[in-house]
Amino acid sequence: MSTEAKRRSRESATVLPPVESPSPPAAAPPAPPPKPKTNEKRPFLLDFFPLETPDQTRLHRFYERLREGRLSTTRCSRDGSLHWPPRTACPRCHTEAVEWVDLPERGHVYAFSAVLAGAPYGMEDEVPFAVGLVDLDGVPLRLFGRIEGRPWTELRIGQPVKVEAYDIGDGRVFYRFRVVD
Amino acid sequence: MSGRAVAIVGGVTTPFGVRPTTWPELAQEVGAALFRAVPELRSEDVDSLFVGAAEPERFAFQSHVAPLAAEQMGLQPYRILQRTELACASGQSAIRSAYAAIASGLSDVAVAVGVEKMNLPSMSEASSAMGCVMDRPWDGPHGATAPPFFAMVAQRHMLEFGTTEEQLAAVSEKNHRFANSNPTAQFHAKTFARDKLLRLPIVSPPLRLGDCSSMTDGAAAVVLTSEERVREYTDTPAWIRGTAQYSDFHNLANAGSLTEWPGLARAAREALGGAGIGVHDLDLAELHDCFTISEIIEYESLGLCARGEGGRFASDGRGDLGGDLVVNPRGGLLGCGHPLGATGIAQAVEVFDQFSHSVAAARQVPDPEWALVHNLSGSANVHSVMVYQRGGAA
Repeated sequence: MSTEAKRRSRESATVLPPVESPSPPAAAPPAPPPKPKTNEKRPFLLDFFPLETPDQTRLHRFYERLREGRLSTTRCSRDGSLHWPPRTACPRCHTEAVEWVDLPERGHVYAFSAVLAGAPYGMEDEVPFAVGLVDLDGVPLRLFGRIEGRPWTELRIGQPVKVEAYDIGDGRVFYRFRVVD
Repeated sequence: MSGRAVAIVGGVTTPFGVRPTTWPELAQEVGAALFRAVPELRSEDVDSLFVGAAEPERFAFQSHVAPLAAEQMGLQPYRILQRTELACASGQSAIRSAYAAIASGLSDVAVAVGVEKMNLPSMSEASSAMGCVMDRPWDGPHGATAPPFFAMVAQRHMLEFGTTEEQLAAVSEKNHRFANSNPTAQFHAKTFARDKLLRLPIVSPPLRLGDCSSMTDGAAAVVLTSEERVREYTDTPAWIRGTAQYSDFHNLANAGSLTEWPGLARAAREALGGAGIGVHDLDLAELHDCFTISEIIEYESLGLCARGEGGRFASDGRGDLGGDLVVNPRGGLLGCGHPLGATGIAQAVEVFDQFSHSVAAARQVPDPEWALVHNLSGSANVHSVMVYQRGGAA
């Protein structure tokens, strides 16, 4: 889909519950990571994981909601466009009136590959790892992410996956995809 | 194209490769080589310097590289001194900035130089530098770098159009063969037969080592001036007849289909239109083959063949000597290596050298008049295009 076509289809995005509506019950806490990391502090400029707290980012609610097991993003309160990644201002109408909405937790793999060599600092021990672009079910968003739960040699296009939150081992959280059958 | 006519009047490329030398030493080396290559050039002529450098902070722990490069090269610019950064297209950005400055009258004689030192003692630190070209807080934590992204592009192209690994290898074989006649290429004097390419280790499936350009140290520089002063330096100027750029996205979520690069189609159409020619008038093209699949999609986006037919265009040799036009006679990023800031400038040096018939016979395009240079940056986020015409009157 061209960028333009994608933009058009976003306008008709499925309506999602706005942030101030009652939150769905918090999901079960994220499962412990299969390979717990050390709490060794990396230099900031060699650490891809972002700083997540309110004193560091205006998007801290993304991480707070992720900690509850909810993948979320922002939607423009004026023109209704759904953003990824979450934003503080709408790229179309430039308003800063945006609201948090939950995203579907399931999707299907659009494309995938794997990193077999040349991983960034701190990820060398995770090689080989699979990554992919995942079409989330019911919304016009295609998210990039790690795909866990199956070796890359056994993945296929169209593979159903779900989003999961995980603890990166130093108090921060991030998300990834896991294969479901 | 408005303003004064602008041409490249000389240029030079250092050897590319894993070089036992530092960032400042590369700048010094390319400066000395430039004054040898353009003997009429005097330091005091150069009023402006544009320095293409993608990530000196990450690769060389060095910021403020424009005055550093000027000092290393023995230049004291007095109109415009600045760095241009657009990841893999940083070099072409330096040329486009110099072009704009000269066309507008702000500069009369400018040098565009590209320098990149990418080989570090730690491969994982170098990979981190490549990773932060992506959207760092969102794509970075997943381990996004260029190879897995372009691997997904290749996977989709294979799925949608039946493109094969053999067709990818055809691109790599051609560009490595041209690199064999380019003594500055990283893979000069190395043979890559198609069957050998298909046995190399996989980096990111389906891409193998031979499908990927490398981490490279190197520098390149060109001199640009206006129609008023071109003849002081050369009888074979490479005139800039068109240039355009288009930005599609940054975060990988906004990459669209992956197999369609509308930004390139649009930038090429505009640059060729500015030159008053069509794609079939081109004699050669330096295309951004950071990966084999990139060159295949570039054939399609430029309109050299229909969408989906880029693989066949490659395996039929239509981008080779004797084909429709010659693509990447320099050896491409695959054969020459890809020192990010230097690549776009080395491509322009190739165009200048092709126009003046000063390259090895094995890669000389017969009597070329029109050339196109393309750089993409990041995950094909931005496409930058220039169109050059050989010699003649302004």
